[in-house]
Amino acid sequence: MGTLLDALHRPQDGSEVAERVGTLRRLAADLDLYRRLAGAYVRSEMQYKVSFFCRFWAAFLGNIIDFAALAVILSRIERLAGWSLGEVALLYGLSAVCFSVAEMLAGALDDFDQLVQGGGFDRLLIRPLGTLFQAMTEGFSLRRLGRMSQGPLVLFIAQRELAIHWTPDKALVLLVALASGVTIFFSIFVLGAVFCFWIVQAKEATHVFTYGGDFLASYPLDVYRGWLRHFVTFVVPLAFVNYYPALYLLERPDPLGLPPWTRLLSPVVAALMALLAWRAWSAGVRHYQSTGT
Amino acid sequence: MAVRLYWETGKRQFQQQLAYRTANLAGLVTNGFFGYLRAAILLAAFAGHDALGGYQAADIVTYTWVTQGLIMVVSLWGWNEVEKTIRDGSVVADLAKPFSYLGYWLARDYGRQAYFLLFRCLPILLLGQVLFGLRWPEAPLTWLAGLVSVILAVTVSFAWRFALNLLAFWTIDARGISALAGSAVLFLSGFVIPIRLFPDWLRPVVLALPFASIIQIPCDVFLERFQGAALLGALGQQALWAAVMLGGAQMMVALATRRVITQGG
Repeated sequence: MGTLLDALHRPQDGSEVAERVGTLRRLAADLDLYRRLAGAYVRSEMQYKVSFFCRFWAAFLGNIIDFAALAVILSRIERLAGWSLGEVALLYGLSAVCFSVAEMLAGALDDFDQLVQGGGFDRLLIRPLGTLFQAMTEGFSLRRLGRMSQGPLVLFIAQRELAIHWTPDKALVLLVALASGVTIFFSIFVLGAVFCFWIVQAKEATHVFTYGGDFLASYPLDVYRGWLRHFVTFVVPLAFVNYYPALYLLERPDPLGLPPWTRLLSPVVAALMALLAWRAWSAGVRHYQSTGT
Repeated sequence: MAVRLYWETGKRQFQQQLAYRTANLAGLVTNGFFGYLRAAILLAAFAGHDALGGYQAADIVTYTWVTQGLIMVVSLWGWNEVEKTIRDGSVVADLAKPFSYLGYWLARDYGRQAYFLLFRCLPILLLGQVLFGLRWPEAPLTWLAGLVSVILAVTVSFAWRFALNLLAFWTIDARGISALAGSAVLFLSGFVIPIRLFPDWLRPVVLALPFASIIQIPCDVFLERFQGAALLGALGQQALWAAVMLGGAQMMVALATRRVITQGG
């Protein structure tokens, strides 16, 4: 995470000052700055308390109904493509936790098209801070906690329904999977914003991979056709957010028939995605031309 | 004369939407992708079952794609255009115009939604046909009934959204309240899953609420689940709610305009 934040906050004078300060101190400074920038948005949000309260519950309800619907259906059919309610809840909960944390950090990027279209990105360019770092904090909102609350709740249901035999290796896989999943979704948010540097009017299409990615990963991949299962394993690696870690935790066979070690690849995939996202962002910033108005 | 004004207002809104071709294409991609996922999940759920809630697998796939097609037509993701004009004060100009304030916005909504019916809903249904194969109406009359049902669905949804927007006359928190009410509509309209799949104790209540008119009834009309008198009953239920809710919204307009104080300048 340290290197990621370093990458996000690249002092643009490239001076010796930055080199003298230790990585840890810079990380602390970054976090403090993030807290302060985000805090400013939280304070403005809190001027509308009822609105905040309503939007929090809207985010919570708007998401938990998907799980409620699933529970209603599974109460009639018992198994979805061979997965029990508890097993689907594990997938759903893992994806929800990873996605909501990523959305909390980078969800503001979902409005990045407005920043590009309105010329607001120029403002970010002239400040002595990493552009991605700034774009992430523009429009930070605590109402996203509403979405964040549903994940642990569903995981709790999963844990109650399932009798997972917890061992140290499974606990480790779970923790690494959560960190990897957050990184993968975070990278997808960044890539979605990068898309706006080229095609600013089609922002909604990136929802296929952000919100659509979370929706897709919430259910067992077995319900989708072969091409889509390959696509989310090899192209947009959503399967590594929760599906492969869940196969490991539940000791289930892989319908794609990949060797068993693939289900431990999440951190590698996450690192590659983060690198790709960072490279793409840099290329996007270089490509950027102001709206000129 | 007044009719002509509303017609032009709606037409203008329709034409305005035509400008956003790239955005509409992006929306099509997203609605289509979610349609694919939702249909695949429900198909997997139906595997090994003849029917659930009276729907066969082909029905539920069609139901899902119709709901995806209707998202924009009934503005399921929220709509705060009126609230914006109240917040920035330009509402005063609209209130001063020589025709009904509610009629003006309703005409705009019809224009906008006619665009989405043609350029969003129809392509989504065609996409569903290509990817899954849908169950299309057998009787030609169903198309007419479907169109009437969608117009009534738009009317009910408009009245609800409009009333929530009008809250901005009284509170600065109207947007949050709209968002909360909007997420309830997702479930209560039968968008997430058909109301007919709800548990027995909940189903009759939700079917009687106005929100069923927004998604559940138009979908069922398209699937030809109502015959003869039942069809008239379903459309009648929609029409009744449309009238009641428009009446309520008009009362809110009357109350709100008494509150408006125009700052001269």
